[in-house]
Parts: sequence; C-alpha cells; structure tokens
Amino acid sequence: MNFVGMVVLALFIGGIIVYATIGRRWPAVFRPIPGYDDLGVAIERAVEAGERVHVSLGTGSVIGSDCAPALAGLVMVSKIAEMTSASDRPVVVTAGDAAMALLAQDTLRSTYNRINASEAYSPDAGRMLGPTPFSYIANLPVLLDTEKVSVNVLAGSFGYEGALAVDFGNRQRTFSLAGTDDVQSQALIYATAEDPLIGEELFAAGAYLDQHPIHRAGLRIQDLVRMIIIGAILAGTILRTIGAFS
Amino acid sequence: MKVGTHLIWAVVAGVSGLFVLLGYFIEIEIIVAMRLLLMRWAVLIAAWALILGIINILYVHFIKVRDMEPGWPYSILLMVALFVTIVFGFISVDNEIMAMIFNYIHLPIETSLMALLAISLAVAGFRLVSQKRDWTSMVFVGTAFLVLLGTVPLPLFSDEVIQEFTGLRNWLVQVLASGGARGILLGVALGAIVTGLRVLLAVDRPYGD
Repeated sequence: MNFVGMVVLALFIGGIIVYATIGRRWPAVFRPIPGYDDLGVAIERAVEAGERVHVSLGTGSVIGSDCAPALAGLVMVSKIAEMTSASDRPVVVTAGDAAMALLAQDTLRSTYNRINASEAYSPDAGRMLGPTPFSYIANLPVLLDTEKVSVNVLAGSFGYEGALAVDFGNRQRTFSLAGTDDVQSQALIYATAEDPLIGEELFAAGAYLDQHPIHRAGLRIQDLVRMIIIGAILAGTILRTIGAFS
Repeated sequence: MKVGTHLIWAVVAGVSGLFVLLGYFIEIEIIVAMRLLLMRWAVLIAAWALILGIINILYVHFIKVRDMEPGWPYSILLMVALFVTIVFGFISVDNEIMAMIFNYIHLPIETSLMALLAISLAVAGFRLVSQKRDWTSMVFVGTAFLVLLGTVPLPLFSDEVIQEFTGLRNWLVQVLASGGARGILLGVALGAIVTGLRVLLAVDRPYGD
C-alpha cells in the first residue's frame, strides 16, 4: 500500500472540506490575475458587438494524463456560456479529442438548461477540430475567421502548437487568454498571448470566475500543500548543508 | 426526475474515479482488477467517441456548405479529404496511396506549420519588447537571446568566446530555468490534483446534469 499517496489524498480531500466549511466565515483573499479581469471585460465587449467567444480545450485526451487542464477549461466554458447566453453568437468550444468535444457539448447543454436559456444550445457549439495537434491547429484560422471570433481563450493541454493557436488569434486581432500544463509551451504562450496564464493560474479559473465555494477551498489547500512542500525543501537543504545526512 | 439522473451520473463518475484512484494506492486484487477493467472501458468509450467526433466534424461542415457560410469551399475540401483518407485507410493502412498522402501532403503541411511557428515566435519576441515593456518581458527576451547565442553556430567569434556563451547557456538552462520549471510544475501538479478531486467529488460535472 502506498501510504504517502493515501495521506496526500486524505490531506487534499480533508482540506477542501474544511476550507469550504470555514470559507464562509473567513473568505479567502486571492492575488489579482489580470487575465481573468481582462477576460470579463473582453467578453462583455464581444457580447455587445455581436462577436463570438472561442474556448479551446487543447489537444489533450480525456483518458490521458493531460486531461486536467481541459477539465479546468470546462469550468471556464460553463461560466463563459452563462455570460454569452444572451448574445446572438454564444460561445463556441473546440477540442482535439472527440470525447473532450462531447464533454464540452454536455457542459454547454447543462449550463444553458440551468439558466433557462436552452435555445442558446447548438450541437455544433462543441466541436472536434482535428484528432492530431497540427490538424487541430490547421483548422483553427478558418474557424476564427468565419465565426467572427473576438475573444480567444485557450485552456487545455497544448504542445508547441499552442503558440500557433494564439498567433492565429492575434492575426484576427482577438483578445487572447491562454494557459496550459506544459512548461515549454507556457514559455511560448508567454511570448505570444496578450494575457498568459502561468503554472497553476489556469487551474484557478473556477475560483476567480466566482464559481462554487469548493473552487476557492481548492485554491487554499493548494497554497497550504505548497507551503508544506517549500518548508520540506528548505529543511532538506539546510540539513544537507550542515551534513545531517552524511 | 432531473435530480435523480444528475445523482446517477455523479455517483457513477465518482465511484469509477475512486476505484481507478485507489487502484494506484492499494494493491488489493479486486480494486486493481476493477481499475484495469474501468480503464479498458474508458479506452473503448474513447474509440467510440472518435467516431462521434468525426460525425460532428462532418455535421458542422455539411451545415456550412448547405448554408453557403463564409469559407464553405474549405469545408468541401475537408470533407473530400476525410472521405478519401477513410476509404483508402479502410482498404489498407500501408497502401501506396496512403503513404503518398502522408509523405506528400500531411508531412509537408506539419513541417510548414513548424516553420510558421519559428517565424511567429520571432515576431512575438519583437512584439514583446516593443509593446510589453515591463521587467519580466525584458528578462524573458534577454534570456532567450543569451540561450540562442549559446546554441547557434557563431563563425565570427573565437573558441573562447563561444565556450563562454555555451557555459552561460548551460548555467541558465540547468540552474535558473530548471529551478523555475520545477516550481511551475509543482503548481501545475497541485492544480491538476484539485481539479481531478473536484470531478471525483461531483463539484465539477463535465458530463452534464
């Protein structure tokens, strides 16, 4: 039995429950992430102008280890669908993985049903663009152009093609917010996107876009565990320096 | 009724996720067997989802052609290409025509996109310097420049200077960049764990209500 794994899992679940319970009494204060503030403004502008918001869930697969960023992206999809439901052109979501496109359709359908805007749902609002990273990217410029996209959100797993996805958006003069799990791609996105999301910022989307209290509790437990890990690294460094392990 | 179905999906997803997760931590035969079974089912479902995805692609592009929306000729091209590759793929995966499609169409397009990426990044670097004049952007571009100097061939410089640049690049990549990347990866890992747990606890329900 992997005790360390079980302890970490219990710490996360327990921490989420505890922080969600005390969160109402002691609300958390989070550092500002400009990308999320700018996103709200850009979406409002797009809705007023009758332009489309596009969310890309990347080229990761639902059954792969790279699905987590896209799951965080689906939280954004839900919130953005709410914000654009009154628009003539509701949000369009694309993915490289077919199962992820189906999840996007389900997320859109349940969100529109929840806010009594089921007429805003269309089966082609959640699309698979192409099953390989570059076939996905090759299809993107046509979509951005023909759908009159003015807000381009990339929230999923991307390789080097993520930078191209942002660049295609930039050529259409879209507002671009982009985050991924791959470190090298984050560097490329930093160079190309107007508002890049670095590291865990993508996973904080739910908390910053004002979703369930558990999203905020999740951020607090992440901070706690991060502090524990930093403490352990520092303690290890000091002990090693003074020769405690020799 | 709606609450009932919503609960069923949440319980199925939560219990399945829990079995898969516990299968990594606890080596009890039944849990490990359940994990493997559920993962095999997931692969099967993903394969069927791919068929639905292709139907989705065809549907979207058929509507575009039918309504003559902007860019509809591209949609015809896509549907023809899809049809041709499916037909020849079904005949045999390693036939001559499939090899030609791959070698003379698919591969050059992918290579062109990579080349386009190199140009896009160079332009993005200049744009970063000219538009985002904050210290982080300057550090980013400066570091990229130093790493390039230590990587590209420099025929006009002496061996000592080239060695200095190579040493500097190695130090930047192995010490500063490596440390920073580990910090970012740590944040990504913690975020991914919490995101997965939210799905497991049915707070996020990407499978709908």
